[in-house]
Amino acid sequence: MAPFDIVATLGVAGSYLVYLGIGCCFGFILESSGFGDSRKLAAQFYFRELRVLKVMFTAIVVAMLLVFWATALGWLDYDDINVNETFLWPGIVGGLIMGVGFILGGYCPGTSLVSAATLKIDGMFFLLGLFVGVFAFGESLGYINEFWNSSHMGRFILPELFGIETGVVVILVVCLAIAMFLGFGWIQRLIYGRGDPE
Amino acid sequence: MNDLSEKNNYWNPYVGGALLGVLLFLSFFITGHGLGASGGVNRIAVAIQDLVVPEYVDKSPYLAELAGGDRDPLRHWIVLEVVGVMIGGFASGLLRGRVRLQTYHGPQITPRTRWAFAFAGGMLMGYGARLARGCTSGQALSGGAVMSVGSWAFMFAVFAGGYGLAWFVRRLWQPVA
Amino acid sequence: MSTMLNPRSIGAAFLLAAAAALALHGQPDLEQKWGFMTPEYGARLAYREVYIDPAELLGLINNDNIELVIYDVRDERDWNMFHLVDAERIALQDLPGQRERLRTLSELGVVVIVSNDEILASEAWKRIMALAKPNAYILEGGLNHWLNIYGVMDDEAAGHDKASLVAPDGTLRHPFKLALGARHAAARPDEHRVRQREYTAKVRLLKKVAKAGGCN
Repeated sequence: MAPFDIVATLGVAGSYLVYLGIGCCFGFILESSGFGDSRKLAAQFYFRELRVLKVMFTAIVVAMLLVFWATALGWLDYDDINVNETFLWPGIVGGLIMGVGFILGGYCPGTSLVSAATLKIDGMFFLLGLFVGVFAFGESLGYINEFWNSSHMGRFILPELFGIETGVVVILVVCLAIAMFLGFGWIQRLIYGRGDPE
Repeated sequence: MNDLSEKNNYWNPYVGGALLGVLLFLSFFITGHGLGASGGVNRIAVAIQDLVVPEYVDKSPYLAELAGGDRDPLRHWIVLEVVGVMIGGFASGLLRGRVRLQTYHGPQITPRTRWAFAFAGGMLMGYGARLARGCTSGQALSGGAVMSVGSWAFMFAVFAGGYGLAWFVRRLWQPVA
Repeated sequence: MSTMLNPRSIGAAFLLAAAAALALHGQPDLEQKWGFMTPEYGARLAYREVYIDPAELLGLINNDNIELVIYDVRDERDWNMFHLVDAERIALQDLPGQRERLRTLSELGVVVIVSNDEILASEAWKRIMALAKPNAYILEGGLNHWLNIYGVMDDEAAGHDKASLVAPDGTLRHPFKLALGARHAAARPDEHRVRQREYTAKVRLLKKVAKAGGCN
């Protein structure tokens, strides 16, 4: 049953190749979807383009369906894959800060890598800022360590939060995605009188 | 190069999203991990610190965990993935003729202004990503797909932060009028 | 949207249908999960790889370097009659609640499951393997076997009856006059006073490959 211990089967070097390959595909898809362009990314927050929303939520929905279908069929062990531990408030505050960083900087870490790789100077400056930011975090940890480790809820997943079956949560997530696509599209037409080209 | 409607053959976002979703699934299937980015940047930053001030790194519990003693922060899958992202991004750009030294910026500001804000935004992003233990790739995308509550809360917070500030900084991005 | 039958609507409908079908199919419960795992893990039971000798368990109990968890899955009556000092009683149906604990067990963690014979313990082993795949073993011969060996410390002058292991039926077959629980001498045999036994050591400590979290 997946996931596999690829270090055991392929060796460390082999496993590194796998991760490199995954990264390449990731970067390729990001750039091909236009995410190396900060203007297109920022446009999301003005409803001018809904790329970010569409790519993100489509990816989440597709991956979610695949993961849980594979688990249902016994091909994948959901209990064995990495599910981000929930540190609720550091996550929310960090998210807010990142939202501000997103609209100011025009990228997120992943897309800035792609942008810098295609020689976009704003992407490079963003990447530089990223280094400074993570460094600053390390230095500030002495003051905020308690907060950083607060509200730790462990491996806490949506079905547990709502007390409903995994399958029902998946349906709700799909509905949420569709609703957001429709809703944001409606707002877009309201403001600009037109929708995204696709 | 400010025209958003310039003729770029970017993929349909639904198609791109679906492909990304398949990749994300394959990543979980083969390796047990999702995707990530900020973790790799962090490790590279720590590696640089370790090069310059190794004794300081050894004394700080947070840094020592990654790079203390003879631990190599770069020997981690996410660093490989970050390198891959740059390679893949470059390849895609090269294929479409989008590899060009230029600055993307809103029509109302100069490239210099853009650089300053990109740097500032990057700093905030770097700090926030460590605080949240992930970024849009690692938390929102990957954590969201496997139903982590913290990841979903994080995702909504990112959107809230971005949309909340957007109106006030519209000069950075919006065309005149 | 020119017509209702455009690619986006079809895509959305497809995803909704896939989600609905998934909800109907459901996620596997522990029993089904064990069914999926049997090809890989069933052999460990069949080839007795996870049944450990009582002497090995005694060694684990006295080993300070490991994090030992002993699950006693018998009913309360048997537990009150006799149980190991270091064991914790847990019913089969309560095992799922141990998921987080088992997932976060350290590299030095070892789980041993005991019952009267091996029947119930083997059942429990399957379930906790499906739950969290911990480093888990089963006491060979169960507590009946354990008591045969450690039931009387000094020589068998006391006319102690050994339990029959020939027809294991899951019951505690030692003649206890009183329910001593963990106060019986065999609940924690003194390793310096018992006879040394020869056995094949089967417990191995997990050396986990660093499966660190997402963006660390």
